[in-house]
Amino acid sequence: MTSKNQLTLRRLAMATSLIACLGSLSACFDGDDDFVAMPSPSPTPTPTPTPTSYDVQACLDQTIPGTGVTVAQAVVPDTLTLDLSASSGFPNGRKLADPVIDVTLAVIFLDLSVNGPATLAGLPLNPPANDVAFRDTFPYLAPPQGSPPLADSSGTMFTFRSNPESDYVRVDRMGMPAVSTALIPSDRKNAYNDANPAQDADGDFVPDLADTLTGLTNALADDLIDAGLTPCATPA
Amino acid sequence: MKFTKALPCALGGLSLATAAVLFAPGVGIMAADHLDPPARTDPSVDDTPDRAADIADIFAWHTDTSVILALTFSGPQATDMPATYDPDVLYSINVSNAAPRTTTDIPIRFRFGTGAMDQYGISVTGLPGVTGAIEGSVETTLEKDGVKVRAGLFDDPFFFDLQGFRDTSNTGTLSFDSDRDFFAGQNLTAVVIEIPKDRIDTGALVDVWGATARLGGQL
Repeated sequence: MTSKNQLTLRRLAMATSLIACLGSLSACFDGDDDFVAMPSPSPTPTPTPTPTSYDVQACLDQTIPGTGVTVAQAVVPDTLTLDLSASSGFPNGRKLADPVIDVTLAVIFLDLSVNGPATLAGLPLNPPANDVAFRDTFPYLAPPQGSPPLADSSGTMFTFRSNPESDYVRVDRMGMPAVSTALIPSDRKNAYNDANPAQDADGDFVPDLADTLTGLTNALADDLIDAGLTPCATPA
Repeated sequence: MKFTKALPCALGGLSLATAAVLFAPGVGIMAADHLDPPARTDPSVDDTPDRAADIADIFAWHTDTSVILALTFSGPQATDMPATYDPDVLYSINVSNAAPRTTTDIPIRFRFGTGAMDQYGISVTGLPGVTGAIEGSVETTLEKDGVKVRAGLFDDPFFFDLQGFRDTSNTGTLSFDSDRDFFAGQNLTAVVIEIPKDRIDTGALVDVWGATARLGGQL
């Protein structure tokens, strides 16, 4: 076992007591910003069992703050949606530095009226930033790392294919990050990547998305509740 | 500053517990779009993975004056590898700026072409306000009629602990580490396009999606 994993497991062992702080932050600290011993617990009532089956419809119907669209509208059709009159940044479009996975998880699992889209990014659940800085000006992406061979950029004469689009066969498509990879079952991935947003909007993949989201919610809801967060799903 | 110190400590427990459940065996592996669909792009699944046509990410954001679109692909890869400019792949960035949101109103298409020796070019069509195509060398910023284009090798901009999730999925042993970025220190190929905002802004929501297709059929 690596030292990193050992550290991770020690952190996990602390999770229960730390999560308990979330419901009453003031009880975890004194005025000197130091951890203090928790007071002796008073007798606690028998906890109410956490439901194991959830309905995710409320998650799909909630509006993502700042975008004017619901979660369902953000995922179906599978496109990046931009409101050009509002501030840019995922899920209103997608900037290079946006913590898209953590925001996506918050948006599909949490009651956004209680826990905002940035809740999980605040942990962070994943690395919070790229390992190298992005550029402030065009082309914005960071230069390649290392010393890779770069193409000779002095050319001016090139030969391009001129075939019509009908001569090409679809390989891949993408809109929202992680939708195809995380929410579409393996046996539907080729069909999903062959489809277009119009088929998304027709509901062709809604049962797949809903089933996967329901399964994940059933597995996760107790962890979210234990941490003091509010799932958007309701008991089935 | 009691609050700001306490909250990350408490939620740190959640991050670990959440990861363990989310990525239990059989649930799947989450990434942006790298190696998806696996049957066509993942070398662990497909004997003839189409790296050139494998979208890694699509980005779309705006400033007061511009809309910026970026399609990344063929990555991540080691930092000693060259970019991928496959002339048999058609890359699409579709933009819808009028109802319905599912129709392509601005069909941006690009292909790579070959030149002499180690020279590659890019041809981009469908750009709003641009007469004809923007064509020129990769690894150079091209500009025509107010639109900028650059194709080249870049750092992979995605950041995510993919390895931790894979380990958790494969072993059932918690291996999540928010300090670990699987995509750090890796590169990929990308095309970035900057368009004046007023050429896209109609007052309606704008939808953007990317696609790739291979000439004559999949590998």
